[in-house]
Amino acid sequence: MPGHIGSDYEKLRPEFKVIADPYSGKDVLLVPAIVPDVSLIHALQADAEGNLLVDEKEDDFLLAQASRVVVASTEEIVDPDALRRAPYGVRLSAIYVTALVPIWGGAHPTACRGRYGIDAAHLEEYLRLARSDTTFRDYLQRYVFDPKDHAAYLAEVGLGGLA
Amino acid sequence: MTYTPEEFMAAVIAREVRDGETVAVGTLSPIPAAGVLLARARLAPRATVIIINHEDYWPFHNGSKEFYDFAQRGKFDLFFLSGGQIDQFGNLNLIAIGDHDHPAIRLPGGAGSAMLYYLIRRVILFRGDHTRRTFVERVDCVTSPGSSPPRVIRPGGPWKVVTPLAVLAFNSETKRLELESVHPGVSREQVQQATGFPLVAQREGAVTPPPTDEDLAALRGPIREAVAKVYPVFCRTAFLAA
Repeated sequence: MPGHIGSDYEKLRPEFKVIADPYSGKDVLLVPAIVPDVSLIHALQADAEGNLLVDEKEDDFLLAQASRVVVASTEEIVDPDALRRAPYGVRLSAIYVTALVPIWGGAHPTACRGRYGIDAAHLEEYLRLARSDTTFRDYLQRYVFDPKDHAAYLAEVGLGGLA
Repeated sequence: MTYTPEEFMAAVIAREVRDGETVAVGTLSPIPAAGVLLARARLAPRATVIIINHEDYWPFHNGSKEFYDFAQRGKFDLFFLSGGQIDQFGNLNLIAIGDHDHPAIRLPGGAGSAMLYYLIRRVILFRGDHTRRTFVERVDCVTSPGSSPPRVIRPGGPWKVVTPLAVLAFNSETKRLELESVHPGVSREQVQQATGFPLVAQREGAVTPPPTDEDLAALRGPIREAVAKVYPVFCRTAFLAA
């Protein structure tokens, strides 16, 4: 990894090692690869085999390559040919994908490209409630623990009936 | 002529872009985004402008990885960073205020700054405020140092600091920040009062040139529109009516 040498990362992250670059002789920092046990990826579309269409502006592809287990959700399951014809996004092969869940509105309250934008009002509510542990617990109770399924969550955030 | 601090800072940043350069703007950087678009509209028409998350100014197709790979190849001439604290040596703190293990304030973290600050030739630091809380003698945590010993690969580093009060410049000999100019209506004492370390003036009495009418017309028209695609909330208050 270029840079970082002389910063507090050297103190804070003992697994980062400085060595002499065998080519230039200068100091370089080595950083061990991150290997997530599980990554969660929300795909724009997927086919029934588990091939995904992911946003090429995001780091989903890299995340899938790095992780041991990939659990994908997707806005909709489509025909494999429809995935190939998609106007944007990159296809991530099913060989990376452990499990696939179709879930409309799965990116809420953040955006899903080509589908819906961010839910600014909900994010502002989140920011307000996340300021203290007590109100953050209220947020989790209302939007994460209480809804019995995704449809109930969408109803709670005012998107009921759209799924 | 009236203008907002954001418009003023964007005009200052625009003058730092050289024609033909490749200039990148990272996350949470609406003022630099306005500045580089102003540069391209008026002063540096052949500049290549890259703005993260902007559909019209993002040429990469492989996530942020491709952006960082591009930076590692030394392809960027100018970039923008900020800090929860910035000190006289150009050190940045984006980790924590206070003791790292028991912080008074946990900051968002450095993301790519400890790499980009080394590799991009000129980095402009910007802050929407100028106070002793931010401009400290020595940062509590060093997310990225302002300079490095010769053994470290470091083609780039700090260039200027742009705030609502003044422009500071990094002196590559002394490795310290100095006062380049104060904005119109701001006294040198006022800047010193708001800065937690002694500021040497490069040139006595230097005043930052304000934006021109043409700058302001561009900022309040097409540039506001372009910046709003990524920063709609910022654009509600940053620009005066066209």
